[in-house]
Amino acid sequence: MRVIEAQNAVLTNVEVYEFLNDQARQHHKEKRRAPGNLETVRKELLQYLESSPNPMSQRPLPYNVAAIPILIKKLRPYSISKGECVMIMNLRPTSIANLNAVLEDMEGRFNEDAQQSIVDIVIEVLGQFPPPPEEEEGDAMQTTE
Amino acid sequence: MFILTKIADLVQIPPSQFEQHSRIAIENNINAKYSNRVIQKIGLCICMFDLLWASEGLIGHGTGLVNVNVEFRMIVFRPFKGETLFGRISSSTPEGLNIRTEFFEDIFVPYKELPESTEFDHNEQSWIWVLEDDERMHYDKNEMVRFQVIDEVWNDQMPETVEDEDMENAKKVSPYSIQGTMMKEGLGVCLWWD
Repeated sequence: MRVIEAQNAVLTNVEVYEFLNDQARQHHKEKRRAPGNLETVRKELLQYLESSPNPMSQRPLPYNVAAIPILIKKLRPYSISKGECVMIMNLRPTSIANLNAVLEDMEGRFNEDAQQSIVDIVIEVLGQFPPPPEEEEGDAMQTTE
Repeated sequence: MFILTKIADLVQIPPSQFEQHSRIAIENNINAKYSNRVIQKIGLCICMFDLLWASEGLIGHGTGLVNVNVEFRMIVFRPFKGETLFGRISSSTPEGLNIRTEFFEDIFVPYKELPESTEFDHNEQSWIWVLEDDERMHYDKNEMVRFQVIDEVWNDQMPETVEDEDMENAKKVSPYSIQGTMMKEGLGVCLWWD
């Protein structure tokens, strides 16, 4: 074994999620069994990505890989680093407190209006969890699980 | 959280797999070797992403194995320093919080990386963040948390000798573990911020 390039690219969670789901579906269709160690890690990883508050726990899925270039374009004016963009894609911060957890020195770099604008972009492109049932009228049975 | 790593290797396909398409036989052999295993200083391998190149197969003398040189890209779990991730509290000790995810268990947040005025409750065996108005916020077992990666520790599991005892001891240390912090607004138990 020889590593040619330690880091050839970075993948966001939604890309890995779609890749593993497609692979599982393909294997099922071809009645093909993957090696046991792959089946284990694939199942565990999909479980992780589908547990709340991971955005991929939402049904229907709130976004797919097509959202990546849209988000990058909309965030361009804010000079957010690549790593921060990846975290925004993965964790989908829909409040200022959650945005603070993924941006370095948020308060030093962005005033309150800019912070709110970034959160608004995240909600517009990646969606958000529906409000808790007690605030909703009508179908109170909907949960965010 | 995930990267692609480019790797070159030699795949050996036994005659029992000759009925498979070579593309599938190669992929299965790569995944059987790498999936769910740690490569030192690279990360936890998930599965092959794509096959970039494969040589002609050469049959080895005496064994009947087909040898194929391959280059491929692997999906690898390797969060970068400063990255924030979701995890779940698996246990608390006076030293800090143990965090796990479904597929990776070795994450630790030392007590000095918890917010100030956090204290350990020996009766409940859990950490509690005491706010100014004396409100007590618990770091309960199984709670989902956000934490930020501050360091990583690599341990080559190579035993010092081939004695059984050394072999067992080598397996006990984790090949790859992550240290995290929760010392920032927005980190810690998810429910506090949602």
